[in-house]
Amino acid sequence: MKFDTMKALVLTAIFSLFMATAAQANGPIGDHVNDLQAHLDEYSEEVLWLIEQVEEIVGNYERGGLANTNPERVVEIWEEVNFHAAIETNYVPVYASIWQGLFGVRQAIEGEQPIADVRAAQVSLEQSFWQGLGAVKVAAQFQARGLVANIEDTEPTSPVETLTQIGQLLDRVVAKYAERLPEEAVSIVYDTYLSRFEGVEGDLIEQDADLVEDLEIDFNVNLPQAIENGSTVEQVRSVVNAMQSKLNRARNLLEEAEANRSSVF
Amino acid sequence: MQRRSLLKVLAAGGSLGSSLLPASLLAQDGEGTQALSVDELPALEGELTLYLGRGEGGLYENVLEAIQQRNPDFELNIRRGPTASLANAIVAEAGAGLRRADLFWAVDTGAIGLISNEGLARDLPDDLVNQLQDTFRYQNFAPVTGRIRTLPYNTERLTAERIPTDVMAIPDSGLSIGWAPAYASFQSFVTAMRLLEGEQATGEWLQKMGRVAKSYAGELGVVMAVERGEVDMGFANHYYTLRLKSGKPDATVDLAFTNNDAGCLVNASAIVALSEGELPINFIRYLLTREVQSFLATEAYEIPLVNGVAPPQGLPDLSTVSPPDVNLTRLADLRPTLDLMRDVGVL
Repeated sequence: MKFDTMKALVLTAIFSLFMATAAQANGPIGDHVNDLQAHLDEYSEEVLWLIEQVEEIVGNYERGGLANTNPERVVEIWEEVNFHAAIETNYVPVYASIWQGLFGVRQAIEGEQPIADVRAAQVSLEQSFWQGLGAVKVAAQFQARGLVANIEDTEPTSPVETLTQIGQLLDRVVAKYAERLPEEAVSIVYDTYLSRFEGVEGDLIEQDADLVEDLEIDFNVNLPQAIENGSTVEQVRSVVNAMQSKLNRARNLLEEAEANRSSVF
Repeated sequence: MQRRSLLKVLAAGGSLGSSLLPASLLAQDGEGTQALSVDELPALEGELTLYLGRGEGGLYENVLEAIQQRNPDFELNIRRGPTASLANAIVAEAGAGLRRADLFWAVDTGAIGLISNEGLARDLPDDLVNQLQDTFRYQNFAPVTGRIRTLPYNTERLTAERIPTDVMAIPDSGLSIGWAPAYASFQSFVTAMRLLEGEQATGEWLQKMGRVAKSYAGELGVVMAVERGEVDMGFANHYYTLRLKSGKPDATVDLAFTNNDAGCLVNASAIVALSEGELPINFIRYLLTREVQSFLATEAYEIPLVNGVAPPQGLPDLSTVSPPDVNLTRLADLRPTLDLMRDVGVL
């Protein structure tokens, strides 16, 4: 991904005011995520360390096969680094790709795939690490300029902001599914519907009833079923991408409606 | 919590802020008065912190922004979050000897009960309370706008006369029904039924309904299913149907009401003053003005609860619906409702 494209995507992501506050798979988010700039060197070193560790695991597999390798170690090393929380709180789409890459390498080894396939999965994972580091660096720039709220500020103040937040929560659904936590992914889908989408669909139905109906079906049928039926991460991501496209349309409709709304006094 | 009848006995807090208001509009002997215009209110000066429960859309934010713009010497700090969480935070803060919020605006009156039961809610002056319709006058909180439980029905499949006016008779009506038992407003409705009809009758009603009703995740889903003809009728708050008809004028759905039972319960958002002084009270007065109440009625289809402001288009006047007399703060008692719904297998 080109840096400019990354910058635009990260900007969109971090300005959404969505920052994770829940406990993460590897424990609570540390304070370091509120001062990314000061920790960039640490994150860079961690990425290099991660790549070395993955190379060692794959190298062991290449030399001695599965019996000589601990494929679960691929996931364990990811749980050990602060970079994990830095990317999770700033650019969830790449976070999902990293998990996808981690399991890609692990499953290729566990399935005793040819070394060429394992190496291909390794390359894909390394690309995700670098994309993630790029995203964190961009986020650090905005944070250092005071353009990003700290992680505690999470409540949207308008339906348009709520829709943006819903889009981000759907990214988290993909991330949790890629992390092999399908129940948590479904739970996020339903929580997002009940605590977020329900609050804006009244506004939205006045603008486009069919769009609301489509999203209702996506939230309550299409996305939960894609997760519960054991679809691939790409299939779940495809459902989410389609929903995010509809949410973008919804956001435009609500922005137009707000512009035409009468004043209170 | 007592209603206006007890207010007369207690005669609590009658003078706060009243001196700033037109004498002709002050309450006389407990009678209702018309809502004020914002032009009749004193300017707000100073700083307040409001805890704001997450609600329908963002129109409360429009109101708060308008109040601040109108009062340049007034600063409003807002903490937003789920209503129940904020209520718990207020109680916890009080337990720790802190008071961070001056006001709490909850989307559901039940949450106010928690605050009230802890003795944290200030009494409101009579002249403010009397601007509210007589069934919505409370000693220490002000309902702001209401929402009524309704029975949306498909107008191509049946007429309103075919729908029972007794909510307890609906499971036996032979109609196909949609409901959203996981939805918070539905659970408040069941709580009201428990209070009005008792545990046993409510449990039996839920069991019968569980056998005949089709479940949806939310109440907009119920209304849309009714409109599609997937079910004959459903249970839902009124505004979903009105908003659907606003966006889709030829929608084949209309509203029916039960009579004087939980099926036509009116619940409300409500605000409570937590700190002393006239500023929090005067802030509440702004929410009860004709302008704010009209704005929320026309833009959000919420039901004005002050005297003299028309309900949203498409909804009959509350006086023609005869909602039940339920102390709204008792709707906070959700745990027995959830236990009952789980016991009979509908949750």
